[in-house]
Amino acid sequence: MISLVLIVLTSLFFMGLVIRTKSIASGRKGPGLFQPMKDIIRLWKKGAVYSNTTSFIFQIAPSIYFSSILMAILVIPFGHYKGIISFDGDFVFFAYVLALGKFFSIIGALDTGSSFEGMGASREALYSMLAEPAFFILMGSFALYTGHTSFHEIFTSLHFGSYISYGLGALATFVLVMIAMIENSRMPVDDPKTHLELTMVHEVMILDNSGFDLGLILYGTNLKFAMYGALIANFFTGSFSILISILIFLGVQMMFATLVGILESFSARFRMGNNAQFIFTLTSISILIFFGVLLIMGKFV
Amino acid sequence: MDNFWLIVSSAIITGTGIISIPLLPSRIKAFVNFLFVLLVAITTSIPAINALLGNPMDISLAGSAFFGDIPIRIDALSAWFILIINLTCVNGAFYGIGYMKPYHERKANLSLHWTLFLIFQTSMLWVCMLQHSLAFLIAWEMMSLSSLFLVIFEHEKKETLKAGINYMVQMHIGVAFLTVAFIGVYFAQGSFDFLAISDYFGTNYNAWLFLLFFIGFGIKAGFIPLHSWLPHAHPAAPSHISGVMSGVIVKLGIYGIIRVALMLKSELLLIGETVLIISILTGIFGILNASVHRDFKKMLAYCTIENIGIIGAGIGLFLIGTAYNNNMLMVIGLSGALLHTLNHSLFKSLLFFSVGSVYQQTHTRDMEKLGGLIKQMPQTAILFLIGSIAIGGLPPLNGFISEFLIYNGFLNGINTIGLTHSTLMILSLASLAFIGGLSLLTFTKTFGTIFLGNPRQQLHSVPSEVSLWMRAPQYFIVAIMLTIGLFPQFYFSVTLQLIQSVLPASSMVNLETFTPMMALMGNVGLYSMLFLALLVAIYLLRNYFVSHHPTQKTATWGCGYVAPNVQMQYTGKSFSKSLGKLMDMVVKEKKKYTEIEAGEIFPQTRNHNSHFVDFFENTIFDRATKQLLKFLNYFQFIQNGKVQMYVVYGLFFILLIFFGTIFNLI
Repeated sequence: MISLVLIVLTSLFFMGLVIRTKSIASGRKGPGLFQPMKDIIRLWKKGAVYSNTTSFIFQIAPSIYFSSILMAILVIPFGHYKGIISFDGDFVFFAYVLALGKFFSIIGALDTGSSFEGMGASREALYSMLAEPAFFILMGSFALYTGHTSFHEIFTSLHFGSYISYGLGALATFVLVMIAMIENSRMPVDDPKTHLELTMVHEVMILDNSGFDLGLILYGTNLKFAMYGALIANFFTGSFSILISILIFLGVQMMFATLVGILESFSARFRMGNNAQFIFTLTSISILIFFGVLLIMGKFV
Repeated sequence: MDNFWLIVSSAIITGTGIISIPLLPSRIKAFVNFLFVLLVAITTSIPAINALLGNPMDISLAGSAFFGDIPIRIDALSAWFILIINLTCVNGAFYGIGYMKPYHERKANLSLHWTLFLIFQTSMLWVCMLQHSLAFLIAWEMMSLSSLFLVIFEHEKKETLKAGINYMVQMHIGVAFLTVAFIGVYFAQGSFDFLAISDYFGTNYNAWLFLLFFIGFGIKAGFIPLHSWLPHAHPAAPSHISGVMSGVIVKLGIYGIIRVALMLKSELLLIGETVLIISILTGIFGILNASVHRDFKKMLAYCTIENIGIIGAGIGLFLIGTAYNNNMLMVIGLSGALLHTLNHSLFKSLLFFSVGSVYQQTHTRDMEKLGGLIKQMPQTAILFLIGSIAIGGLPPLNGFISEFLIYNGFLNGINTIGLTHSTLMILSLASLAFIGGLSLLTFTKTFGTIFLGNPRQQLHSVPSEVSLWMRAPQYFIVAIMLTIGLFPQFYFSVTLQLIQSVLPASSMVNLETFTPMMALMGNVGLYSMLFLALLVAIYLLRNYFVSHHPTQKTATWGCGYVAPNVQMQYTGKSFSKSLGKLMDMVVKEKKKYTEIEAGEIFPQTRNHNSHFVDFFENTIFDRATKQLLKFLNYFQFIQNGKVQMYVVYGLFFILLIFFGTIFNLI
């Protein structure tokens, strides 16, 4: 329960922090922290324009996308406190629920019959497919390390002891940050600020969405960021008391948001054709984590 | 009624059906066939349900001195498959009523088709019941032949006939391996009873005999590299037949493999690892090919190969678990395999039926010619969508349940065993995730291209929603799928009982230890329900907001371009193009076109043609058969068409036997 509240809370200012960081990096003052959230609320109050080509798929897709993210958040634990849902192998459920949301956002884009949106949908499907093995190897390695298979048990029994384990923690954080960037279509893979539809991934998929639906999708992205931030924060909140945990949680989220902002200010988007290889290298980093775990457990003879 | 008499009456019903169907007017043939199929299903399902409840059937028919008695056994494993066969056949027969309506004038063909359908069902049932090698082979052969004739219903098309012959040849290669395996066992043990195989495994090296069985059954099931009949036969067959073939006939290969795997005594680890690796590769290969093809029935056929890979992974886990005496892994692996068998037969027949409806209305299997069908055929579109979600293993439908079990098996495997196995398990885990992602790409592409957007081409006739006759069985399948997705604990407990009753006594499983697992499955069902409720709640909330604000309809935003046309829509081919380029070592694209020459000032109209070829078929089998043909050509002089020479051959043969007997050579 506590993780849900914290994630929702973070989602309110996360994007604002990213934008603020980017503004400061480019020498501007930038809008207030809650400006993106205000924009979303304004969208929720607006009417909508629908394409003649679309069917009911286009109408239900944003709601399903949004509820899949909410459902995935219910699985995330907070320190010693379980998520609302917690069971053995719940990270499989987490990944597959998110995949259902992605399924609908893709067919929602295809429903418009626009060539641009089809292009974005194709890229989104390809990239998220390539990121999937990295996440599973990462979680599988921690399942091996801790002997548990649910988010909550993995994070509570995760303890850093040796130098290798700190290295693993750093690598895991890197993989999770990158997965978050890919899943949210952010910088090294996709540039949300680009003005050319041909080079977009996620933005071009939602070209035809407007009004409440667009608001849902945008807020979904915020929630998703906060959700991945919470996952990362869980690496560090394991053994502290609740107050310190909350502080660490907020600190990690802010650092994550700032990192996203800095990454987006100082790096350029990869060439579209090289994205696939880049995403797949994450899998090899995950395999590195796996071998590190084997090393710690003394399974290399 | 006694189990035995039920089985006998099912045979009698089949016989009556075969005699009566040809005599009926062609309007009601399909319907009467459905009644017969239903009757056979009921009479055989009763003993099967009894077996699942703990009363297996075991009777022997008196045979001759050479053959020995013919045992007919229905244990829980047979029962599981019998129920799957009956369910799929009943649905297929019902769907066939509507699907075959346009062919009413072909009276003789229809008679043959529906009688063979009945024979097909009965022979599959007998495959599961007979436990006598020779009788089993006869039933197996009847099943292959009847399905062959069902496949080539549209025999006037050249490629259909070619696919049929391909199917026939490959099935007989499979039978040859099975025959060798059975005869080997007979010579070692002196009995055709399946129990002899178990005895054989007790005293001999296990891997070779298992390999023979695996090839024999694997051709039916479609493991790589033995899969190449599937992508030809499934598109050629009428859709209700493709549904039944993909739903059950390939599963009988799985049945055979599980049956043999349960009898293994040693070398379990080696066999288990091999099966697991082959299965994972099968899964990846199948779905990669599925993602690039534009013929939607071919796509589904490759997707069947992928799912066979997932089922095989479960069997591999079971074998590795047995080798390590790890009950958890054993049970999770086998129950995952069995549940996925059931699940796949459900959603694959649903998908074949719904694309069959599309084919009936549009007369094309090429998805690039379609588009926007959701407007004319909304219910078919929803049915296909539900099938796609289920086959991608996404919650809250049934595909997730079996894949979740297999994921759990891998996670369990990582924890319990050493370095090599941990690595194998984690790579399998990642591959399963990869397969899941690819199937998401494949099915969003297929659904999007066929049903969404605008029509890409003018069709010969305007498609409209198919009749209720064709939709009803699909809704029935969806209902069963939902029960599996939302109440998985019931189905899981059935498979638990099943596994406990079929495992050899040496590796008895204590069901008490699986209570947490049962609770877990119950929870997964519960959370799926919660997810559904959340979906509905958010959608209603969204509708409330949207209805209170003005909405308007205009054209799709063309990014400033004001004259878009339907040809500019994203095609299925381009949707999977980047993937195809990324994986071009596996999915090979063949292009046919001529470049414009430098001196060609007024170029002629030219065509560009590209299609994807099967890696194994193209690089291995075709080359091998070409070499074989070349080699056999050297013996062409023997068959030269001269009658005189043929007489000389006869004479030569007689002389050979004559001298052979004189010199005691024969």
